[in-house]
Amino acid sequence: MTPEPTDLPEAAERRLTSGAFSSGLSVADFAACLEMGLEPVGLVQGFCAMQWNALGPTMGSFVQPFVPGSAGYSETFRCPHGFVSNDHRVWGQNFEQTWFQNSWKNGFDLAHKRMIEEAQEAGAHGVVGVVDAQQPMGDGGILEFHLSGTAVRVAGAGPLTQIPFSTYLAGQRLAKVVEAGFAPVSVVASWGSVRMWPYCMTEYQLHGRGLSSFASSIPPSEVDQLVRAKTRSRYIAREAARRALHGDALHGTTVTSSEHEHSQGEVDFHTLLRGNRIRRFKDFEALPVPQPTVRLS
Amino acid sequence: MSPLTPPSQDINLKDEMRRALAAYAAGPGSNPHGTTSDLSMDEELNLHSIGWEPVEFVGGFSAFSTPSLTWSWGQGEIGAASYAHEQAFDLALARLHQEAAAAGGHGVVGVQVTRSIHQSHTEVSLMGTAVRPVGAAAVDPQRVFTSDLSARDFTLLMVAGWEPLGLAAGASFVFAPRRSMGTVLSQQSQNVELTNFTEAMYNARETAMERMQSKALAMKGTGVVDVKVFEGPMYFASHAVGFTSWGTVVRLRADEHRHITPTVVVPLDDAVVAFEAATLGEV
Repeated sequence: MTPEPTDLPEAAERRLTSGAFSSGLSVADFAACLEMGLEPVGLVQGFCAMQWNALGPTMGSFVQPFVPGSAGYSETFRCPHGFVSNDHRVWGQNFEQTWFQNSWKNGFDLAHKRMIEEAQEAGAHGVVGVVDAQQPMGDGGILEFHLSGTAVRVAGAGPLTQIPFSTYLAGQRLAKVVEAGFAPVSVVASWGSVRMWPYCMTEYQLHGRGLSSFASSIPPSEVDQLVRAKTRSRYIAREAARRALHGDALHGTTVTSSEHEHSQGEVDFHTLLRGNRIRRFKDFEALPVPQPTVRLS
Repeated sequence: MSPLTPPSQDINLKDEMRRALAAYAAGPGSNPHGTTSDLSMDEELNLHSIGWEPVEFVGGFSAFSTPSLTWSWGQGEIGAASYAHEQAFDLALARLHQEAAAAGGHGVVGVQVTRSIHQSHTEVSLMGTAVRPVGAAAVDPQRVFTSDLSARDFTLLMVAGWEPLGLAAGASFVFAPRRSMGTVLSQQSQNVELTNFTEAMYNARETAMERMQSKALAMKGTGVVDVKVFEGPMYFASHAVGFTSWGTVVRLRADEHRHITPTVVVPLDDAVVAFEAATLGEV
């Protein structure tokens, strides 16, 4: 197959085809990779800098909260008290920040695609030991996506008819996956973002704010809006990851949850999932029960 | 369950890797739903050894409010705080349970418990992986268990003839007792035991452990393993002491406990003396 034209810099092409390899693997991982017939080709990377504007289409909007016209989770909460005052938000909203999620996905996917292109250019079958990071760049408002990993060739295998695979695993951990009958397919990362614009009940429950007579008259209860926002953020991330599986399995997922408060009570709930998409290539076969041991040191 | 045998040595990893690559090139898998899991490969292999597999990455979250005057100085147990903790834990657990049952899991292992106590509310977040015996059909939701044991511990427990039943938690918050000005002054210079404070902590401990154990009994469990205990003041209320604990309720599944006799090994790798280049500059 002739690879599609890539936007790799010329110097990178020269370096990757020069014959000597560089590898991000530790010596132990390197040794384990050789053991399973993975020959390092080069350290490959992909970058993407994205405009990172937290407000998105809500910027300049005079009506808070924002009502997204696009598809996505959105839910409104109505004041049960029936009066209006300055410190009493008569309605609130949770909404999925689709524009934000799309930026994240674009940034990650582009960086991943560029890393894979480098690997393809170097004639690799896959990229192992992937490391990814997202960090703010410059004065802010820019998010940098960076992926790197070690491109490898599988000894004795012919050229691939598709793009190289990628996995966060390397060394013994990858060897165990293969031994258990799973083929690495791709790294998967997904990001869910839900904004909570609280209404009066949520504010009273979370901050005891507002008219004290109201705040103290609320019986102990579940903070429904917060529960729905956080649950939804995780759900969105998981379902986005599932859409990337196409019938394969996601394994070794790590979850990073974070909150970003815009003003008191108005919070973004972010969930980042990272995992390895793997595919079963042989039937399930129970392993022997591991032998328990006690170490004497 | 397979007998204890040493792992097979005849596997050729290079061949396996080539098979894996061929499977990769052949296109996506057949499970339309896809499975998700936050287990590590080691944990997954442990599960495989007793014939179980991951099904779905699941979670449950709850936040429960405490009225605004809850933490103002008083005496005895802070009922609203204990209640909020119990409700938040139970509601989060119910959601986790529901997600696991809906995904066809027989139980959830490796549940990460994240709990935060604030002045106005208590949050409990539970996340773990729903698991089942390979290819098994869904069971009655009543029988789906939750456990914060790792997959490794779950495997060991099953091999020993036990089974997890569910997570149980108990919490109690109490006010540190008030002392009269005279008592404060007389105790200040003496470094004696402040028995009323000690007693407050004992009270909180007894109440919390009692609550956890009664949940275990309600599940018809024999005991609670891997109990975590947290004790101390709240960051926003130094005059209150909170005591919380949780763990996995277990019951003997087999007729009797099966003893696991570990083999004793002596690793030789710490005899290696490493050359430290950093010392070169210090001569």
